[in-house]
Amino acid sequence: MDLTRSEQSSLLDSMLEMGELLLDCGAEVSRVEDTLSRLGAAYGAARTDVFVIPSIISISMEFAGEKALTETRRIHSNGANDFYRLEKLNTLSRGCCVEPLPVSELRSSLDAVAAGHKPLRVILGGSALAAFSFAVFFGGSIWDGLAAAVFALAICLLQEYLGRTELNTAAFNLVISLLIGLGVGLLAALLPALHMDKILIGDIMLLIPGLAMTNAVRNMLVGDTISGAVRLAESLIWAVALASGFMIALMIVRALF
Amino acid sequence: MNPAVQIAAAFFGSLGFALLFGLRRRYLLPASLGGMLSWGLYLLLDHLLSSPFLACFAASAFSTVYAELLARLMHSPTTLFVIPAVIPLVPGSSLYYAMSFAVHRDMASARAYGSQTLELALAIAAGMSFVLACRELHTRRKS
Repeated sequence: MDLTRSEQSSLLDSMLEMGELLLDCGAEVSRVEDTLSRLGAAYGAARTDVFVIPSIISISMEFAGEKALTETRRIHSNGANDFYRLEKLNTLSRGCCVEPLPVSELRSSLDAVAAGHKPLRVILGGSALAAFSFAVFFGGSIWDGLAAAVFALAICLLQEYLGRTELNTAAFNLVISLLIGLGVGLLAALLPALHMDKILIGDIMLLIPGLAMTNAVRNMLVGDTISGAVRLAESLIWAVALASGFMIALMIVRALF
Repeated sequence: MNPAVQIAAAFFGSLGFALLFGLRRRYLLPASLGGMLSWGLYLLLDHLLSSPFLACFAASAFSTVYAELLARLMHSPTTLFVIPAVIPLVPGSSLYYAMSFAVHRDMASARAYGSQTLELALAIAAGMSFVLACRELHTRRKS
């Protein structure tokens, strides 16, 4: 496939876009590097160098007989998972490696994926089910599970609402765990049949960066040391913020009752 | 805690997360089954070996193999299946009790739960990486 110079630079731009979307959906850095390198080769680049860490993507492409093109993009992602878009991106990139789409179409397909969102009611239902199940899983009663599910809905709505503000993840975790801790603490104080610890554990499962931490350690063990270290430091800070929010809430509740 | 109730709860917990992450409908059942199987395996091994770390390592390694196989079968990324499968292994309760004991100034218990949390997180990561490293070795030898 022979690309004009302007097509080449537009391809590079689309590749950055794809990398950003992949990271935003929670894809592994090694996977992002692999996908982008293959994509470059599929479009006929003689050499494609991709460097990805959670906060930066840098791509350098060389087409035969021409000067290399290089671009860098700063990424803001919190490592949240979005399988809905991840799968679409996977299909798109696989397709492109076999039979490359014209560069302009690649761009519009990416824009279509970026605009797609999983429906809110599925997210709400999923969180409620997960919190209910884990409250019961860790030894709570059905009632504890139901209370955890109600607070899970609150977490989701807060995430939707606060997510639109430019709050960073650590501050966000602090605020959300403080609010949820207070809510659950008050409810358990009013209804002594409920177990505050089980309800909170159900809801914590939605918030703890356990997966982020696991992925960070995994990155380091498979050789993506920088990405792993960055993610590990981030997820520890998020966990501390989360714990601080809950601790403040527990202290307030203890002081009140 | 009744193991049957817990295994059922693991299934629904994984299903909840799969929904939350927007997994496609036809992948929901196999992904949630992964969570149920991995927790069942964890309970069994923990009972036999009485080592939560080893049980967690093995259950996580199993989840990764399971996810790899499904991903091959369905031509989709492994992540889609591995994350719901390891969710029940994530040490949410020890993290909570570590915090709670810290608030109540019982630092010895807080430390014990805190280190258990880290140990289990490490076991999950090590189990996954072990399988991924084996796969990588295998594909490199082939090419």
